[in-house]
Amino acid sequence: MGEVSLFFINGRIAAAESSELREADVLVDAAGIITAIGTGLPAPEGAEVIDCAGCLLVPGMFDVHVHSREPGDEHKETLASCAAAALHGGVTGLVLMPDTSPPVDSGNLVKSAMDLVSEVSPIPMHQSGCLTKGRQGTELAGFSGMASRGVPMLTDADRTVSCPDLMRRCMEYARDFDLLVTSHTDTPALSKAGVVNEGRVSYRFGLPGIPGISQEIAIDRDILIASHTGARLHLQQLSTARGLESVRRAKEAGTKVTCEVSPHHLVLSELEIRDYNTHFKFNPPLRSVEDTEALVAGLIDGSIDIIASDHAPHTEFEKSSDFGSAPFGAAGLETTVLVLHDRFIRTGVFGWDLLIQRYSDAPRKLIGQLPVAISEGTAAEFFVFDPAAQTVITRDYLRTKSPVSPFIGETLAGAIRGTIVRGMWFA
Amino acid sequence: MSELKPRKDLLDIESLDREEIEYVLENAVPFKQLFQRSVKKVPTLRGKTVLNLFYEPSTRTSSSFEVAANRLSADVTNFTISSSSVVKGESLLDTIETLQAMRSDYIVIRHQAAGVPGIVAKHTGASVINAGDGYHAHPTQALLDAMTIREVYPEYKGRKVVIVGDVLHSRVARSTSTLLNKLGIEVAVLGPGSLIPEGRHDFMTRLRSWDEVFDWKPDAVYLLRVQMERQEGQFFPSIAEYHKMYGMNSQRLVRMRELGAYLMHPGPVNRGVEITDEAMRYERSLISTQVENGIAVRMAVLHWLKPETDKD
Repeated sequence: MGEVSLFFINGRIAAAESSELREADVLVDAAGIITAIGTGLPAPEGAEVIDCAGCLLVPGMFDVHVHSREPGDEHKETLASCAAAALHGGVTGLVLMPDTSPPVDSGNLVKSAMDLVSEVSPIPMHQSGCLTKGRQGTELAGFSGMASRGVPMLTDADRTVSCPDLMRRCMEYARDFDLLVTSHTDTPALSKAGVVNEGRVSYRFGLPGIPGISQEIAIDRDILIASHTGARLHLQQLSTARGLESVRRAKEAGTKVTCEVSPHHLVLSELEIRDYNTHFKFNPPLRSVEDTEALVAGLIDGSIDIIASDHAPHTEFEKSSDFGSAPFGAAGLETTVLVLHDRFIRTGVFGWDLLIQRYSDAPRKLIGQLPVAISEGTAAEFFVFDPAAQTVITRDYLRTKSPVSPFIGETLAGAIRGTIVRGMWFA
Repeated sequence: MSELKPRKDLLDIESLDREEIEYVLENAVPFKQLFQRSVKKVPTLRGKTVLNLFYEPSTRTSSSFEVAANRLSADVTNFTISSSSVVKGESLLDTIETLQAMRSDYIVIRHQAAGVPGIVAKHTGASVINAGDGYHAHPTQALLDAMTIREVYPEYKGRKVVIVGDVLHSRVARSTSTLLNKLGIEVAVLGPGSLIPEGRHDFMTRLRSWDEVFDWKPDAVYLLRVQMERQEGQFFPSIAEYHKMYGMNSQRLVRMRELGAYLMHPGPVNRGVEITDEAMRYERSLISTQVENGIAVRMAVLHWLKPETDKD
């Protein structure tokens, strides 16, 4: 908790309900509770005044797809550096993927992960669990133990349960605990050793391709299993227009399915891959321009429920390998808000309300958390955003341990001035 | 011709402009004439060192570069790293450090991973010549192919070449087709649908059968080497079926003779697969000319590139 109360003055408040920004001062007491919101409030004695002139106060984001790498790969990222990156990016809560070493596939491992989180993380982190033991895709993991430790979702994180029978058992079994089953949606027999979208770009670079159907078939399969079993299904990282069409049809048919999209699949296409730059190597891969356009439309019309960064740190050394051998993924927690503001909010494609709905409210709702809003009587959980400023994304700007990002070198409109959560102001 | 911008590396065909291509192809001609003399050596690269770095076994290309460098009086070191001895995840950057310490002026590199020569080039002042990287590029093969076609067709513009076989996995098909296209030569492809990628260059017209090929009246037929087994799976039912559908056999040779079309192959050939013994003896086969031109073109490339080794 903070030492003194904080008084955010002259700012405008953004909310999920409306694209209108509300001018108001916000008083947060030493316990981190918003005690007053209004214009012309007197500054209480001893309060630290934070002038937010020209700035926005935005509810803290919530990221359901984060790889913290601890335990096991602390050379890439730790829970502490992950939390620092989150705060730096306006993210005040997140779900940890279970693909650590060892993978989190039992109640005991969930407990030990959550104990570590409570020791080192200033922000709430929820540890998800594996669907199958050791993420091996052969046996069910310990569902009941993980459920009793409160896992928000089960997923084999970046691996698909490739056996349809086992996936069916996962969903049938998860339904008894009302556990959310989350699928990476890939068909390994089709994606094989692929590293980029199959098509013109894979041909030109001479790299093995990952066809769109490798994700589309997995989406269709898991939707059908979900509809057959009645389980709740969440699909990670949509990357193609056709996959999105499947989700639309499933939702219309009443299947309990939600899905997410990553910022890189919204703003980057395969055409951005130049010079074998491994910072653009993702799984699923960056797709065509038409796909990115369809995903943006799906995000706006609500077919896509959630934005998730897929924060996947790897060291620069690991990424300096050739394109085929380098690991998939890049850091995302610190750039998601900035990039989406720069590409979409600044240009009027959508407003802050939509970003808050998809990156703050819906992800919290997905795992049964209450949304956070900037309102009296609630805990302060927001960040201060200056739309008139600029942020140059450099290695030094990033606080993640692995400053690998496709946006390095870019100058983005807007800057995050600081984030408040649990009564602590991180500026 | 003398106003060329200096170039350090040869990594692919796409980045070459027309002038550079002409320069290399024209310079290869006098180098080739040298082979008829009793003394085949010139002092062009005396005191320079060429490192032949092969991560994939290739006696032919490696020897061709070695002979080319020797004939330019350079000192050559051959460095073959069998893929089995490369520990997975071995750092490319560490290898580059080692290469730097060797202070070579030219690094000829073949690697199973696409893009590796480019990474090496970025980190060294030596001139890097891509001798084949994954499925990506094989620029000196393309140049020797172009030289070979120009020898038989001095008026090469508007000529037609059909490439037959595994276009999907072929760096030769990528580089050679790109170069032919730049020279104004028409390119078509023939092969099973599983090996003719949708994402190929727009200029690669797809022909569906040998009948369509001969109706198209190619000036040269370029057969690619066939590999039956690939890590990613099977792409056609059997070698026998491939041979029947796409191989160069005696019946097709009759049509070739009627057209006066030339036959090309990057080597090494699989006899009985993409080509029969009889077809190997075809009087208009350019296969051994390609090998000879390979040395001349590689001499011209070594002569052309400008290392920045003094900056290291």
